[in-house]
Amino acid sequence: MLILGCVGLITGCGGIGLIIAGRIRRRPRELREFLTALSLLDTEIVWGATPLPEAFASLEERVERPWQGFFGELKDRLLSGESAAMAWKGVVRAQSRQFALKLEDWQVIKDLGKGLGQSDRQQQHKQLELVQRQLALLQEQAGTWAEKQAKMWSYLGFLCGLAGVIILI
Amino acid sequence: MLLHTNLSSTLEWAGVTPWFGGNLNIIFAQIRKVALAEVEEIRVRVGQPLLLQGSGRDIFLNALGVPCRQKEAYLVSRQDLALTLERVTQSSLYAAEEELKQGFFTLPGGHRVGIAGEAILRGKEVQTLKHISALNFRLAREIRGSARGVIPFLLKSDGDFCHTLMLSAPRAGKTTLLRDLIYLLSTGIPELGLRGQTVGVVDERGELAGMRQGIPTYNLGPRTDVLDGCPKGIGMSMLVRSMAPQIIAVDELGHPDDVSALADALRTGVKILATAHASSWDEALHRPILKILFTEKVFTRIVLLNRQHGPGTIAGIIDTLTGRNLYEETRLETIGTKAGLGPIV
Repeated sequence: MLILGCVGLITGCGGIGLIIAGRIRRRPRELREFLTALSLLDTEIVWGATPLPEAFASLEERVERPWQGFFGELKDRLLSGESAAMAWKGVVRAQSRQFALKLEDWQVIKDLGKGLGQSDRQQQHKQLELVQRQLALLQEQAGTWAEKQAKMWSYLGFLCGLAGVIILI
Repeated sequence: MLLHTNLSSTLEWAGVTPWFGGNLNIIFAQIRKVALAEVEEIRVRVGQPLLLQGSGRDIFLNALGVPCRQKEAYLVSRQDLALTLERVTQSSLYAAEEELKQGFFTLPGGHRVGIAGEAILRGKEVQTLKHISALNFRLAREIRGSARGVIPFLLKSDGDFCHTLMLSAPRAGKTTLLRDLIYLLSTGIPELGLRGQTVGVVDERGELAGMRQGIPTYNLGPRTDVLDGCPKGIGMSMLVRSMAPQIIAVDELGHPDDVSALADALRTGVKILATAHASSWDEALHRPILKILFTEKVFTRIVLLNRQHGPGTIAGIIDTLTGRNLYEETRLETIGTKAGLGPIV
């Protein structure tokens, strides 16, 4: 019984550690995926002059979850008559919990919504390019950070479990 | 003859309301005592009363969407206009860049939104408009059967279609009549011995077919091909090469390029159905671009429209080869016969 309890504690703590590590590893992936989406959006705007609802519908089909849901909701909100800035703000507020992104990432993403669709193609391109540069920097930092943190949390979970077992015994 | 006698528009206020933002959306959502069928234009000007214009009458609306006197009308705010502009451009001002340069864009359904603001110039060309201060929503309508009474005048005795130009001042129903003529020519009228024709439409402003992602809002008939958003000059040549039309239909001739493209199309034997701005036959004869077409005797039928009895009143149909007003003669014949006087010619 005691042995089973010890195994359970180690597995439980280890599992929590792995979950946290997994979430940390998701951040650079999500940033990379968003950068791809921005690049597609840039093409839709600059080359296709595609209106935002259509552009978001196209992104919804071409990106992975959870960004798929993000762009899907944006499209729906725009089609219901909401302005791009309001829709962007609303979707960030509603869906940010589904992502592993940090506050600093959301700050850059939120800023993008402010001028979206409100200028000519050249200005839109400049704005998207700026956001892409900022996010690329964050992604680079997140990559190095995530590798270390994820490894730490993977070990830390099991070590905590082990420490708990030693204390209990 | 009035084009709006057989009005078959399906447009309702509920379909118009989503175009407007801010308080205007609320006003149009609760509008009362005004039928949309009476309204031709919705005028939105910053700091000015909200105004609906119909055939010969202006209707001011108050904040509750009820017709009122001018001084009680709702004054449109800058925010109302900005939010409305966002709605009609789907928050994608960049996608309406080209349209902004021309001063209008087209909504799904072929409804035209005119824009006035401060023009930003690059050289002699308008680059864009900023500080937009006024919008004019011109409601397009599909009136099935309006061209039925006109078409016999546009056919030769062998049933062949004549090159036709329709002339009128703005808001007199040219586009509506053109749309219905295209439909009838494409469908064919067996009673008149008119077989369905392959019609190529160059819809430069997106008003004729009201294309939305490749699907036309208006039914232009089973033998009609639409080239959407393409300048007429280029579009006519493209259609002749690619779709082999028997008739090419275009709205609002007026650019010098249109004339050379028309000449090219005529060489291939295609028939032309077109409209142009001119409030009278005399005015058209003095317009430089149109003058060339008349000198070359390109068009053999001229349909004149005005608003004397509402939009789409046919003022005359002229045979340019003889100079006779065929429509006037027919009306006189009919009146004379009814009065027992015999035909008057």
